[in-house]
Amino acid sequence: MNALLNYVREVIGGTWSLATGMGVTMRYMFKPVTTVQYPRQRLPLPAAFRGPIELVRLEGGDHRCVACGECFRTCPSGVIKVQGHKSVAASRNQGRFYFIDFARCSLCGLCVEVCPEGALRFSRDYEQCGLSSLVGVQDLMAKLKEEHP
Amino acid sequence: MHRQALTEDTFYLNLGPQHPSTHGVLRLLLRLDGERIVECQPILGYSHRGHEHMAQNRTYLQFMPNPCRMDYLSGLMYNHAYCLALERACGLEVPARAEHLRVICAELNRISSHLLWFGAYLMDLGAFTPFLYAFDDREDILAILGLATGSRLTYSYCRFGGVRDDVGQDFLEGIRAFIPKMRARLKDYDTLVTRNVIFVNRTQGVGVISPELARAHALTGPCLRASGVGYDIRKAEPYGLYPELDFDIPVRAGGDCLDRYLVRVLEIEQSLRIIEQAMARLPGGPVKATGVPQFITPPPGLYHTSYETARGHLGIFLAADGTRVPYRLKFRVPSFGNLGILPKLLPGTLVADTIAILGSMDVVMPEIDR
Repeated sequence: MNALLNYVREVIGGTWSLATGMGVTMRYMFKPVTTVQYPRQRLPLPAAFRGPIELVRLEGGDHRCVACGECFRTCPSGVIKVQGHKSVAASRNQGRFYFIDFARCSLCGLCVEVCPEGALRFSRDYEQCGLSSLVGVQDLMAKLKEEHP
Repeated sequence: MHRQALTEDTFYLNLGPQHPSTHGVLRLLLRLDGERIVECQPILGYSHRGHEHMAQNRTYLQFMPNPCRMDYLSGLMYNHAYCLALERACGLEVPARAEHLRVICAELNRISSHLLWFGAYLMDLGAFTPFLYAFDDREDILAILGLATGSRLTYSYCRFGGVRDDVGQDFLEGIRAFIPKMRARLKDYDTLVTRNVIFVNRTQGVGVISPELARAHALTGPCLRASGVGYDIRKAEPYGLYPELDFDIPVRAGGDCLDRYLVRVLEIEQSLRIIEQAMARLPGGPVKATGVPQFITPPPGLYHTSYETARGHLGIFLAADGTRVPYRLKFRVPSFGNLGILPKLLPGTLVADTIAILGSMDVVMPEIDR
């Protein structure tokens, strides 16, 4: 008799637990949708967002890079290649080539932190894909001119 | 496991390395007698990247992005632990605001890690709905952490002697809105999962680990505390802000899968408490110590740091030789110990229970393989 009672109690308790669980699910059915339909809807990016690095653009499409090489020495993954030139012997060094291989970048941001001139910043670009490992190779100087001709 | 000649009764089954319920690339070689497991051998090394060797080839700062890639679910805690190890070796002081921010972010990270485990574990057991709710809550945390760190998974937020950037008002308001929402959600999880008869029947009394067995296999974290041993690095060897905060260590005595589940859910509550306290007393001031050299050089010697991650005891052993590059950097990861108990635990159980037991251990394979 006791076993039968226990069995009935278990069945009722189990059914009740499932019903209350379904109740939670039903309640959420009438709550606002939290899914973001990605290509059509986009979430706002946080101000601190870390995308692939870019050069800070100054007035007239100029940049602050002096090709000191601090970024490329600090980079743990060897992403950066930078080269500078001097227009006359006594002038200041000026960055001329700035290549990154984003495919190897781990977005740690050490380059942005060590830059003594504040020439680097994070871009807000997060849609980077391609079929070859070479798509990550970017010329930041060319990008600077491209975006602001 | 020495492969024995197959008899009529037993056969081998490979679980993984690409099975969704192995959470990464873990291969379990099982010898089965029908549905029952006779022998189990975990086979590791599928995602070995050589992080410890990488550490010996780069400066201390350059190694900063690596620790978060070992355990990608609690990356911020690994990052914090690595900075802690270096700060102890060099005797660096961390400003009070940075300590508070570190604890807030680490506890948020702990909650997000437990939530992901919660969702994935229930999906292993065949319940799909809680997974979506857990990911909804986790999304809130990732958005909040994104505001402070600029990243969603591999944060690299802590720096030697502080954190990278100060946080804005939106970060603090996000947390203030998140805490009550998460508390309400925990009640829903209780109704939906903890009191669900199917879930309880699948986990209660399954994979029972006695306290002695847990100690013998160096289990740490929630797996150990579910076996009735209240050991937590945050209390045993406090670091950072933890000695000044008031929180409990949830302990359960049963040692089965249900208790491991309950310990983690209770830990989410305690983490919320910690965040609330740290928020209430968040001081102003700088977030980074001044005068930290770029090429940080700890004095020669051997240093050990313990840290409580979402999965348990993380130990960092540093052998410094007075140069800019570590001589040896060894990580003692919690998942390795937690996984190592499986050959002892699984024989005699059913294949269906294997998934429940393995899931309840919350192993992260990249952390084990490194």
